[in-house]
Amino acid sequence: MKWIEKIAALQDRRILWILMAVIGFGLALTSFLVFQRWLYLRPCEQCVYIRFAMACLAVGGAVGAINPRVLVLKLAGYSAAVYGAAKGIGYSLALIRIGEAYRSGNLFGVQGCSAEPAFPFHLPLHSWFPTTFLPTEDCGVSYPIIPEGAVLSPMQKYFTDLYRDGWYLIPSRQFMTMEQCTLLCFSLILTALLICLISWTIVQAGNKLRP
Amino acid sequence: MTTLTGRKRLLALITAMFLLPAFSFAAPALHAAVREGVDYVTLAKPVAGMDRTVIEVFSYDCTFCYKHDQMVIPSLAKILARDGIRFVPWHLKTRGRYGSQASELFASLLTRDEKAGLGLFDDRASFKKAKFAYYRAYHDSRERWDRGPDSFLKTGLDAAGISGGEFQKLLREPATQARLKDWDGAYEIARIQGIPAFVVKGKYLLSMKNLRSLDDMAAKIRELMAK
Repeated sequence: MKWIEKIAALQDRRILWILMAVIGFGLALTSFLVFQRWLYLRPCEQCVYIRFAMACLAVGGAVGAINPRVLVLKLAGYSAAVYGAAKGIGYSLALIRIGEAYRSGNLFGVQGCSAEPAFPFHLPLHSWFPTTFLPTEDCGVSYPIIPEGAVLSPMQKYFTDLYRDGWYLIPSRQFMTMEQCTLLCFSLILTALLICLISWTIVQAGNKLRP
Repeated sequence: MTTLTGRKRLLALITAMFLLPAFSFAAPALHAAVREGVDYVTLAKPVAGMDRTVIEVFSYDCTFCYKHDQMVIPSLAKILARDGIRFVPWHLKTRGRYGSQASELFASLLTRDEKAGLGLFDDRASFKKAKFAYYRAYHDSRERWDRGPDSFLKTGLDAAGISGGEFQKLLREPATQARLKDWDGAYEIARIQGIPAFVVKGKYLLSMKNLRSLDDMAAKIRELMAK
């Protein structure tokens, strides 16, 4: 039981919450600055939803980090983060299905993407932050679209050439698409969150039952 | 006892062999039991005058529209033509950097083809030539026409084989203007579940994610047409 108590105790410190905020914010920032701005991989509808899920993780982490000993803040942090991770898994799976249909040519059973996103809770994120949350490409497209006249640095040229036929974690083997990578990230985060939440719940229940 | 069971099994097998083809004839009708909210959505504002018609809302920048127009629609149109059902394309002007220019050109080219008596799927039709020129440029060659709308229009005009002057003349024609006015309604359809979107009889929007095959799509369209 010791490790459960250790995990539960760790949540009362800021470090885990700050780590989650950094992961969520880091993922969103990487997708925007590295993939969109630097590699010219334009975001699709499902891609901006995935960014929204990443933002939920960051918000959850930030809320929890205010004071993780306060129950309300801890629960609010958990809610936002678990919601973000679960939504992220759903969006990644949807994008995987679309990508497979796009690559295989079997178009039945999938819905293409819309240019006008509909974020959860009717949040008009695409109006508030169009550069980040407005889709500018169709789903299934994961190769760089370099604007005419753009001057690329040697490194930019190397990477945009590398991803010419689509982004893969290991391009030479076409191993793991972007959406498969985000699915893995969100799944790991959700697993970690649930382990933490269950550990904390068990310890709290144990404390209450103790005479 | 064992022999009797064996005979019964043989009889059952033979009966099944005869019955299976009979059921397979009924299969399209069986699997096409369309359900509202699952297989289709009824539009809040139906489009009038669309009996025996399927509207296809598309955009030149939509990957799945390209794939459908390449791999599904020509075969589907042939199947449905036997029942007197026709396709009508509606270009979505709100999507794509040059959505408005594309709509104007497509509407004009349809007017031109109508006058020449050319159908949508005729290889000589200027609309088909321009549409596929845009699809190929955008999706295969990754062209984004960063030099502006004139460079965008040039792709379509060159493919259709008409001059800018002829395009402007066609654009002013009442048939083109009426078509463009109709196409303004494409936005309300597209925002429900994206594009490509298929509207049967101007009323029923097919749910793309629940279509299983070409035959399934044709059967659902037929059934909705009969409603």
